[in-house]
Amino acid sequence: MNLDTVISVESLHKSYAGLEAVKGIDFEVRRGEVFGLLGPNGAGKTSTVEILEGLRPRSSGVARVLGFDPDRQTQQLKDRIGVCLQATNLPAKIRVQEAMDLFAAFYTRSLSTEQLLDRLQLSDKRTAYYETLSGGQKQRLALALALVNDPQLLFLDEPTTGLDPQIRLEIHNLIEQMKSENRTVLLTTHYIEEAERLCDRVAIMDEGKIVAMGTPRELQKKSRAQSRIQIVVAQLFDGTALPPWPDAVSNTIEDDGRTLTVHSTRPARTLFEIMKWLDHQGMQLEDVHLKKPTLEDVFVELTGKHLRD
Amino acid sequence: MRSYLELIRIDIKLALRQRIVIFFNYLFPLVFFFTFGTVLRAGLSLARVTQVITMSLVLGVLGSGLFGAGIRALQERELNILRRYKVTPITPGPLLVASMVTGWVIFMPYIILMLVLAHYVYHMPWPRHMISLLAFISVGLIAFRAIGLVIASVANTMQEGTILVQLLYLPMLFLSGATFPADMFPPSLTIVSNFIPATYYVRGIQAVINNQSLHPSYVGALLLTTLVGFIVGVKLFRWEKEEKIKGSAKLWVAGVLAPFLIMGIWQSFHPKVTPPMPGQGSRVTGDRSPSRQIANRARAGESEPNMASEQK
Repeated sequence: MNLDTVISVESLHKSYAGLEAVKGIDFEVRRGEVFGLLGPNGAGKTSTVEILEGLRPRSSGVARVLGFDPDRQTQQLKDRIGVCLQATNLPAKIRVQEAMDLFAAFYTRSLSTEQLLDRLQLSDKRTAYYETLSGGQKQRLALALALVNDPQLLFLDEPTTGLDPQIRLEIHNLIEQMKSENRTVLLTTHYIEEAERLCDRVAIMDEGKIVAMGTPRELQKKSRAQSRIQIVVAQLFDGTALPPWPDAVSNTIEDDGRTLTVHSTRPARTLFEIMKWLDHQGMQLEDVHLKKPTLEDVFVELTGKHLRD
Repeated sequence: MRSYLELIRIDIKLALRQRIVIFFNYLFPLVFFFTFGTVLRAGLSLARVTQVITMSLVLGVLGSGLFGAGIRALQERELNILRRYKVTPITPGPLLVASMVTGWVIFMPYIILMLVLAHYVYHMPWPRHMISLLAFISVGLIAFRAIGLVIASVANTMQEGTILVQLLYLPMLFLSGATFPADMFPPSLTIVSNFIPATYYVRGIQAVINNQSLHPSYVGALLLTTLVGFIVGVKLFRWEKEEKIKGSAKLWVAGVLAPFLIMGIWQSFHPKVTPPMPGQGSRVTGDRSPSRQIANRARAGESEPNMASEQK
């Protein structure tokens, strides 16, 4: 295992009572990167992560996390990692500061809990009971608890599931902060925009297997999916014959009569030609949208499913 | 050690923030103490006040052990609180120890309060062996918390846990001599009573209050229950509600109660060596127990000796 490799997984299998949840996956996570496991519910993401956290034994294969075997050196591993699980709770009547102090006592080393609460904007909630916190505050506290032992490796299992968009944005900012501190993060999510925004590399999982792996850009480039150009003009196209623009695969005038949608394999060139044509037709441009293929498109292309299936 | 201390500190704080804990640890047994103290006219004799103290105490200890430790541990698992602890380096040991210690810390003030009230309200003389009494009560309190924690370990759901708790709570309350005096039981019920852990707890408390020798087997059985309960609790500890345990694992409850099963069998076959009840020659001839004394004297129209003469 390379010194810069924090997590190393080879031929990892996990079965539950005859059902194979993880079917022989391989990947490595390097120091300081945010690595995303992307996939729909039941893809095997949580099983994989829980094996790496030392919460479940693997059925077969090799796994090393920070140089530890999660099955055999569980306590040493847990002492060194930070974990933010989905669907956990704390006692209703525990105060925020008490929860921090309690969790700090579980580890051989810990950060100043006051400073952590300041950083996660929970200082004013220090004496509040857990039951009185909002969903976003509870999730920030979960992240603070995951950071209490100053871990160099963090596991964040669907950290924004069920949160409203504004709170999700707050959590994204916090994860970016962790990344800037050179912490390694393994993130599972089924939100495309989360993976695209936060992850240096992504592994797309489906039915217990990794179907694609790379940076979001690499995966998008590998995709055969086409970019979509959408143009809105002031006048109606009103039966105007559309020319065959270079690299355009299809074009459609939408029902409002003013919106033109073109799919292209080389969007920059196609867009340039469309602009020239509009100018020649004397049409006044109102709006232009260029949408590249997303990870969702890549996922659909690879698996035939949508991520939220 | 830091994790043990912090868990105990937080557990005590959390317990004291719950009204239900205050109610079942202080108010509920106190209501029984005064109600039965009034009904039995506890001030008339040591036998009467002993019966009232034992009843109130066992009620509180069983509540603390089976509901306080057992049901609370189940709730924490069902609410995914233990799941959050699972990802830290903490092991089940500190969690179980913290639960046992917390139960003791929360309930001991009630015990002191009850003895003080018994002394000043019902004129009970201070027990000569106060340290032994408090130590024996403590051992029992922790043993019943261990039983509660084992129930939490073997029950898959809150519903199962509640059934198991009730299956133990009601016989322990009614057949141990805590509520209905054991020497009023017919022989068949006495045999059943010999298999119930709370019976030995009741007998032990009554013996110490009455300044009689405490049979070592009572203390031994309670200590063994604590030890076995702790080991089984650690072995079967589950952090997540999704982790189910086989139905056969419920037999571990019998394992924890094994010391009392052995004592019950022994006493059923050797009734003459049954340790004496307070104020009683033996269980076989037993017509001098506190409750029987009260009943016999009432029938004969005799007056009872006062507290001072009983103490002599």
